[in-house]
Amino acid sequence: MSTTRTILICSGKGGVGKTTTTANLGIALARQGAKTVVLDADFGLRNLDLLLGLENRIVYTAQEVLAESCRLEQALVKHKQEPNLALLPAGNPRMLEWLKPKDMQAIVALLERQFDYVLIDCPAGIEDGFKNAAAAAREAVVITTPEVAAVRDADRVIGLLNTKGVQPVQLVLNRVRPKMMSNQEMLSVDDVTDILALPLLGLVFEDEQVIVSTNRGEPLTLSDSSSPAAQAYGNIAQRLQGEDIPLMDPSQARLGLRARMRKLMQTRIF
Amino acid sequence: MTLRLPDQRLDHWRDRLPDLLSRCSQPMVDLDCGDWILNCSDLADLCAAVTEAGHQLGRITGRVPETIVAASALGLDASRSNTPSNRELRPNPVTTAASDLLFHHGTLRSGNHLQSERTILLYGDVNPGAQISSTADVLVWGRLRGVAHAGCEGSTTAKIVALQLRPLQLRIADVVARGPEDLPQAGLAEQAELKDGVIAIEPAVIQNFQKR
Repeated sequence: MSTTRTILICSGKGGVGKTTTTANLGIALARQGAKTVVLDADFGLRNLDLLLGLENRIVYTAQEVLAESCRLEQALVKHKQEPNLALLPAGNPRMLEWLKPKDMQAIVALLERQFDYVLIDCPAGIEDGFKNAAAAAREAVVITTPEVAAVRDADRVIGLLNTKGVQPVQLVLNRVRPKMMSNQEMLSVDDVTDILALPLLGLVFEDEQVIVSTNRGEPLTLSDSSSPAAQAYGNIAQRLQGEDIPLMDPSQARLGLRARMRKLMQTRIF
Repeated sequence: MTLRLPDQRLDHWRDRLPDLLSRCSQPMVDLDCGDWILNCSDLADLCAAVTEAGHQLGRITGRVPETIVAASALGLDASRSNTPSNRELRPNPVTTAASDLLFHHGTLRSGNHLQSERTILLYGDVNPGAQISSTADVLVWGRLRGVAHAGCEGSTTAKIVALQLRPLQLRIADVVARGPEDLPQAGLAEQAELKDGVIAIEPAVIQNFQKR
């Protein structure tokens, strides 16, 4: 039994940040010294290579590996700056029909021999793409944003994961806007965890830097940025490794250091 | 003259009693409590209502031993009536022998649909987007926030009970209602049942399902 952790990064709704999370988490884990591979199972809309800035370096995919027309090492794309991180594209967007659950299990079995973490970027929805991607997963991280539709779809995915016996399933709440939350214009953290009833792995605040870094093909966690989202992804990676890092508090997010100190001074302890 | 408290399934005695008393012409009234389980404070309220209406309470009869014991404890003249209980006479659509109850442990998540011909007892939540339906009663030990349908095949006595009853939609037999918008009172289980063809929600009554 390998000690590799095979984690499915999934959501019900599209556009909530699965691929961004996979890329950033991959980099953050690699930086912390874990040998990590990110597997792009969303090969209908292949984007993970783009976010990692590896688009132009893909020659082979998992498809060729399984067909034995190339070795696994040839298909794995090592990241330029982060040698602990590799990308394996699952397939060609034109070959939508090829990947079946048993193919997925075969690929993951190959990867588990040489990596500590296998992160699978799952396609949105609950159709065949999701089922194939989930076939080999042992753990899952469900991404949702604080919107009713995203939460509803996440709930559905969690139901499916439970029937497949994937354990543990953890939650990342993405694109949190602290101001809207404090004004009660957005679902609160409690509202979401109340419905989904999952352990919260992390909160990621809405951050313009994410868009900048996505377009540049350099994940935030790589550029050593002090932006809130970069910190959040770093924290999530540490929590995945089992460290006890406190969650960010949305009500403190907008305050500067001085204001935070003042608030602390005013807090009554006794 | 003997006053008969209304049938439990139709009305609450507190609502009907003033009406009953106003129609009564004699000063001395006997009360038939029927199937009501009344405790001491209920009976004290009842006596107060009778005296307030200008009557004198005579004898109390009832079919439930608990009521008779409570009435005797208050020093009232009480006895058990011999007529068999309605509950024993009427074939009951809901029985709780183990084989007639479907127990499910776990949360129903969006897209799930739990359906049964038996009374369902769910230990967990019904999340928004999930559905639970039974030809008999639906009992949720948790939060009901999805769609619940009791009495799928037309049983109008079916009811829906939940620790937190805030469903998207409620259905009993053929009647459909939207769930209430306001937040529930904390720590209060609620039940929904049909009253005059409309779904009404009220605090859940404690009942012994074994005896039904």
